[in-house]
Amino acid sequence: MKKEYKVVGKSVERTDARPKVTGKARYAGDLVAPGMLHGKILRSPVAHANIPNIDTSRAIALPGVLGVITGRDFPGIPFGTRPDIRDQIPMPITKVHHFGEGVAAVAAIDEDTAEEALDLIRVDYEELPVVLTAQDALAAGAPLVNEFKKSNICYQSDFLFGDVEKGFAEADHIQEQAFSSQRVTVGFIEPHACLAEVDNSGRILLQGSKQSPYITWRHMCRALDVPLSSMRIINPFVGGGFSGKHDPMDVDFAAVKLAQVTGRPVKIVLNNGEILAAYRQRNAMNARLRLGVKKNGQITALHAENILEGGPISGIGPFNIYYYGAFLNIPYKIPAIEYHGKLVYSNRAPCGTVRGQEIVLAQFCLDSLLHMAGEELGLDPVEMRQINAVTDNWTCANGIKCDVSGLPECITKSAEKVAWKESRKARPADRGIGFSCASHPSGPRLGGHFGSAVVLKLMEDGKVIVTHGGTEIGQGANTVFCQMAAEELGLPYEDIIQGVSDSDTTIFDSGMFGDRCTYWDGNATIAAAQDLKKQLAEIVAAELGARPEDLEFADACVFVRDNPEKGMDFQRAVRRAYYEKGAPLYGRGHWSATDIDVVDWKTGKGNLAHGLDFIATAIELDVDRETGKVRLLRGIHGDDAGQPINPAMLEGQVNGGSAHLTGQALWEDSLYDEKGRAINYSWRDYKQPTAMDVPEYVVEHVHTHDPYGPFGAKGAGEASSCSSMAAIANGIYDAVGVRITDLPITAEKILAALNAKEGK
Amino acid sequence: MFLKRLPKFAYHTPSSLAEAIDLASRYGSNARFIAGGTDLLVAMKERETTPEHLVSLNGIDGLKGITADGAGGIKIGALTTLADVQRSAMVKKQFLPLWEAVEVMSSPQIRSLATVGGNLCSAVPSADTAPPLMALNASLKIVGPKGERTVPVEGFFTGPKQTVCKTDEILAEILIPKPKPSSAGCYLKLMRRRAMDLALVGVAVYLELEGKTKVCKGVRIALGAVAPTPITVPEGEAVLMNKPVDEALIAQAAKAAGMQCRPITDIRASLEYRCSMVEVLTRRALTEAHKRISG
Repeated sequence: MKKEYKVVGKSVERTDARPKVTGKARYAGDLVAPGMLHGKILRSPVAHANIPNIDTSRAIALPGVLGVITGRDFPGIPFGTRPDIRDQIPMPITKVHHFGEGVAAVAAIDEDTAEEALDLIRVDYEELPVVLTAQDALAAGAPLVNEFKKSNICYQSDFLFGDVEKGFAEADHIQEQAFSSQRVTVGFIEPHACLAEVDNSGRILLQGSKQSPYITWRHMCRALDVPLSSMRIINPFVGGGFSGKHDPMDVDFAAVKLAQVTGRPVKIVLNNGEILAAYRQRNAMNARLRLGVKKNGQITALHAENILEGGPISGIGPFNIYYYGAFLNIPYKIPAIEYHGKLVYSNRAPCGTVRGQEIVLAQFCLDSLLHMAGEELGLDPVEMRQINAVTDNWTCANGIKCDVSGLPECITKSAEKVAWKESRKARPADRGIGFSCASHPSGPRLGGHFGSAVVLKLMEDGKVIVTHGGTEIGQGANTVFCQMAAEELGLPYEDIIQGVSDSDTTIFDSGMFGDRCTYWDGNATIAAAQDLKKQLAEIVAAELGARPEDLEFADACVFVRDNPEKGMDFQRAVRRAYYEKGAPLYGRGHWSATDIDVVDWKTGKGNLAHGLDFIATAIELDVDRETGKVRLLRGIHGDDAGQPINPAMLEGQVNGGSAHLTGQALWEDSLYDEKGRAINYSWRDYKQPTAMDVPEYVVEHVHTHDPYGPFGAKGAGEASSCSSMAAIANGIYDAVGVRITDLPITAEKILAALNAKEGK
Repeated sequence: MFLKRLPKFAYHTPSSLAEAIDLASRYGSNARFIAGGTDLLVAMKERETTPEHLVSLNGIDGLKGITADGAGGIKIGALTTLADVQRSAMVKKQFLPLWEAVEVMSSPQIRSLATVGGNLCSAVPSADTAPPLMALNASLKIVGPKGERTVPVEGFFTGPKQTVCKTDEILAEILIPKPKPSSAGCYLKLMRRRAMDLALVGVAVYLELEGKTKVCKGVRIALGAVAPTPITVPEGEAVLMNKPVDEALIAQAAKAAGMQCRPITDIRASLEYRCSMVEVLTRRALTEAHKRISG
């Protein structure tokens, strides 16, 4: 099925490279509108309190202030990811739930006046005891965090696949370990920002920094109690998302409400301190896993318990708790799995997730545990992964079907490239190599509307404009779809133009997450191109003396299959359509994986996605025994993303995912004091990795052909974030023999463990 | 709680030291001098300080630049940017610890605004330029209404964000004497990540050996981020002074340094970790300086 592609598989220049590099790209914060006001949000200095009274009278009286709103200006309709978890309102009405939560917002003629007005608002805070950890949340008599729920348990997943008891009985060795992880920020560069306007008919226009505009649009219309047609969303350039910008924030709600109240456009741009303290973070984890293995390393059973602490709202947390358990089933063959997961509310910042979703945490635990079991049994970590690796046509215990697995080859390639065998003979002191594998789906099917659609507009000069609902947030979606459209239409890449992401003209897409866009929108792009070709073929077939279905499109020509002389330039065909038929052509395409299961997150059984992508990561590092500092030397990723669409961008995604999670592995930590107030919410105090901290990366592409993916491609980019933390933890163990299971693995923790080991 | 917009203030642009001092005397505690502004403006946005008057030193001639003092030492104008220090071949060749400190400070953007004088006058415990200047035996020329005075760097800091400079005194110049023959120094900084981070611990050393005997004829050990101000450690220096320097003696001096620091536990590191890192970094810095003399 291997085919020579002309545009697909080539590292063409990104559609957004030049505007971004030259600073011409316009982000939400750059937008201006005539008569625009500036909005600011007043934030709670306490983590948990009733707010019986908010007095805004002095603020609204300040000259230059045109509007002041609070949660009471909204209809009070809760929204949430799914109908059974609607536990969130635009801004608080009766109580605040976390430090930095927005309690009121002001629109004024300039930012200084708006800020001055915030100081004039008086909020009565009646402080309540705080819930900060999973333990606090589950304690008897714990204060309730969310006013829509009668328990601090937000969601539960309980899975039982296969015969777990039998699996453990058959095991030669059982390895058990507790793991924990910290709160970390999402880490995009562009802060939340938006510009909201309302027209004469009351129709809302929101231009914001959104990762999944569809999700924002649905939730906002519900919470504002307006029909979907009363709101339009345009996405300008977005400076990163990493799952922190799916849903509407108080920023978006406040800008819209202030625009409604004042009748003027309102812009709000947050600063990074606000985001680090009060916006989306990754769930903190407390987990315990038990793994049964045979003497040869084969896994017989897995038992896992996991509590995620997720802040005062569910957000996409229920999906996180399901995903953690679901992805214990893959990338290794585990015949029997029991999983009990709980998501609990707390008075820390609300969680969404971060790159790789909670597969990142599951994989950190599982691959650390696998290494520990291998160590006990004296097994080689590469062989142990190879013996358990998922292969072609494998059905996991929970029902996930893997069609094509390049994982065995990924493991082989990364082990070879990192020179694993050679390192066992000789290596410098305190140097080690750690392995971890991971798998990630190409977009799961969730409930509700779940599809992707693309429209191709054929211009009369023969160029084609692509509009799609998938969002370009820096990952390269626009480029990939232009490449696919060019390939399918037989046109040069330069002839495809990226259209604007506008809900009035774009068919909405269910979201940019879970490695789904390349796969879902990619298939929709192919379908749209085929539709366009069909329409054009019908117009020129008679002239070429052939049936429409016998025409082919390649090298900017239309011609009779197997008879290239009988053809015409693409441009000429377009003219026939426009000038002789008066027919402007639009190709339409949509795609949805309707043959897979809508999985019940509570019981977890089912095939949730096509296109499982795989990675085998090897990280070579050394540890300074005196300071505990870890230095990453090389990161090798054997990566199966099916057919790479744009190899350079794919490598960027793989390496970026690995670099991003280096911070969570080694030092990032969103800290809170005992009253739940954020402590290190500035870039001075909260550090993410820079280019100086990441090693030389090598991506070894393992080409496979996915039967459902566009051109055989799978989703890509998130698997490396799932594999990198365990690879680092295992590498540290290989280097100096200490095992840290509570993230982050700071220099200080390593030094303490080394000292303890040496009896110091 | 969160960063705000800059508060309102009057901005003064004197063109001479006398004029600047006059403005500062007139407005007293309502005025602050501003150089690069990379610390001050953030502190103002945090409302940590809200001066009504900012007196810019940027228009005053003669406060910028690195010049030879004619006796083998150098004079660094207080308004010289960190980027200028980093670019100076003279600093890199003869006053390496200072160059090493500047090289690991902040980002290129900040380095092109921030000044050496500003780094000292902000007087945070982790100020990177302080330990190397102490190790290099530098002194500071301060100009005020009553004239000039010169203080050694270790006498400059009086507490976190506090110095001997009165509100109407200006740090004008940093004077570094000529290093002795057969001497070398080193600055080592421990950070959480490898760039753009504050020091968990910063250690600067200067070592001078008698040519043939390798007996220590001069030594300075200065620490950053482990006490309310940057400090020197005479106890560590005493271990080495007038003795032939070897590995064991260096370890002993480093141990003494580790015992003399007075750090705190904060969000970046614990007290215990910082103390043990002072010992490790001091030993490494002394070893490196020793190697540089021989090499």
